[in-house]
Amino acid sequence: MTAVDAPPEPKVRRRTRLPGWLKGLLGLLAILGPGLISANAGNDAGGILTYASAGSQFGYRTLFLLVLITVALVVVQEMCARLGAYTGEGLGALIREQFPLRSGAAAMVLLFIANAGLTVSEFAGVGASMELFGVSRYIAVPLALVGIWAVTVLGNYSRVQRVFLVMGLVFLAYPVAAVLAHPHWGTVVSNLVWPHFLHTKAFLLLAVALIGTTITPYMQFYLTSSVVDKGVTPKTYKGERIDTVNGAILGDMVSVFIIIATAAAIGGTGPLNSVSQAAEALRPVAGAAASQLFAFGLLGASLLAATVVPLSSAYAIAETAGVERSLARKLREAPVFYGLFTAQLVIGALIALLPGNLVELVINAQVLNGFITPVILTYILILANRRSVLGAAANGPAFKAVATVCVVVVGALSALVLVQTLAESF
Amino acid sequence: MGFNKPTWMPGRERLAPPTQSKRLVELRARREEHTRDRLAARQLEGSLLSLAALLGSEVKDSDDNTVGKLRDVVVRWTEGAPYPRMTAIVVRAGGRDVLIGARWIEMRPPASVRLRSSRALARAFERHPTDVELAHDVLDHQIVDSEGTQIVRPADIYLALIDDSVEVVGIEVGIEALLRRLGPSFLRGRIRPQQVIDWRDIASFAPARADGSEGRGRRSDIAGQPGAGLALGEAAPNVRRFRPSEVNEALREYKVRNDGDPE
Repeated sequence: MTAVDAPPEPKVRRRTRLPGWLKGLLGLLAILGPGLISANAGNDAGGILTYASAGSQFGYRTLFLLVLITVALVVVQEMCARLGAYTGEGLGALIREQFPLRSGAAAMVLLFIANAGLTVSEFAGVGASMELFGVSRYIAVPLALVGIWAVTVLGNYSRVQRVFLVMGLVFLAYPVAAVLAHPHWGTVVSNLVWPHFLHTKAFLLLAVALIGTTITPYMQFYLTSSVVDKGVTPKTYKGERIDTVNGAILGDMVSVFIIIATAAAIGGTGPLNSVSQAAEALRPVAGAAASQLFAFGLLGASLLAATVVPLSSAYAIAETAGVERSLARKLREAPVFYGLFTAQLVIGALIALLPGNLVELVINAQVLNGFITPVILTYILILANRRSVLGAAANGPAFKAVATVCVVVVGALSALVLVQTLAESF
Repeated sequence: MGFNKPTWMPGRERLAPPTQSKRLVELRARREEHTRDRLAARQLEGSLLSLAALLGSEVKDSDDNTVGKLRDVVVRWTEGAPYPRMTAIVVRAGGRDVLIGARWIEMRPPASVRLRSSRALARAFERHPTDVELAHDVLDHQIVDSEGTQIVRPADIYLALIDDSVEVVGIEVGIEALLRRLGPSFLRGRIRPQQVIDWRDIASFAPARADGSEGRGRRSDIAGQPGAGLALGEAAPNVRRFRPSEVNEALREYKVRNDGDPE
């Protein structure tokens, strides 16, 4: 990105012989541009493995579900961005001011649990990707824990973050892989526009995991705070709204391609049980290097999210409690902020070190998020409905109806699966 | 957002210079201070009223009948007085919010509210532009310092009986007060100040974001708006946070100065 002082290229059109897939990728990047890149940053270990598992277990069947989830995601993120732009406050602050203290505290406890679960899955992602490189997770995960903590608390994180972000760009190879794998496009389209639900417990559980990983509770807090931090005001909100909606749609497009690519490669082979299986989907692009490429991307995405997720929840909880929350502070000056951050990292790493299947662990963490998502969405919906909070920008009747349907459907599905799971375990 | 730019990261943005905590107090001195504070806190229970404890408590009339539950305390913040004086309380009675004027009310520390007469005048609640509702506008809302950096959220607001009136004297910003409010209700009557900001250090109400349109004087007009909170008159490091013994002392001093008679 130091191309600024490079001499202007001679205007001779040389026919470069780029491989077809690279041309395709570059073309796609030129069209979709930076929005896709930032949207891709939201694809963490949990997301990638859950989408891959959906493709491997149910083929194209979950595609319609993802379309519905995208609608809900757009609705929810638009509300969050609006709340941030019009009130100038993060979601944590709004919850503290607008709800009774105990309900606010309950929301924070749930957010902490959901994010601890996510952190587990990010460390599991680190472990799984390093295992593809032949490094044991009992070495990789503790190293990652210490490294992340030290870089974030003591060092300059934003440089390192850039590296992780670029590593995660590997997953932009999925759309190309999906095309090269020659999926049955007829089936893909029919599955996108027409529901193909299965009434099995496995399908419902995966549906909740898909919700949990796509409409993550932490993302909503993160989005609202970043809108506030960018200084978006009601006057400049229009552009922000376009960005937010685009980001949500683009991010989910990558997810759709992950499902298609995996379904075309290993669809119908049952639940995903190892990361190397998931890497198969990249074979059309990378050939024999698919496994390494996948591991590389997964490592970057996991490390990025393993930092942002605990930071984000420490920030939100400290914001709600009204205490110091800044990396510019010393450890002693912001004990709650750093304490929460460290606690999540340690919990995440420890659980990821327990013996067991890492992919299963990751997907269970997404299911946990799926149970908590509707609760957090209810808070967001109530806030965005309130005229006392947003004034004239509060949800109108039509938007309110759509948003309520989204939250109720997500909630009903989670409740159904939760009741089923509990009934079976007793 | 391009990938050469880092994404926004929580906690990374407010790059205020770190406060210099130069308190290198010896361990023994600290322990002595702690004992003194505990004693002072106990004394304060007899003279301070806690808003958090008052909220939701039953309001009784002179015949000991319950009138309703306390919803809010309304104060008026005028230019002259250092501390805002209570003008009324909002009581939830019969499914409706009613306003009862301060002259009908008798408050006793730590959290008792009683009407002086069984025929106290109540009127339908209506917000007056110069009024500040403590629970609705101040409690749990942000406090920014003079540079606009948000520092804390009040977990409790302390009122004190001064002469015949009730005045807002301080704001609790310690985290213990927050935890106390989350705990069982019988704990709420225990007043244990930890870090109290003198109300005199507060300059005005401020919007969530500096909007450039600095209003003159105390902007009580924006109290209660979403995101609006209090603004301190000074930068955060210069604002003193009182410990219980210091609150006790300051309160006594203020009372003496006010009427030359400490209770």
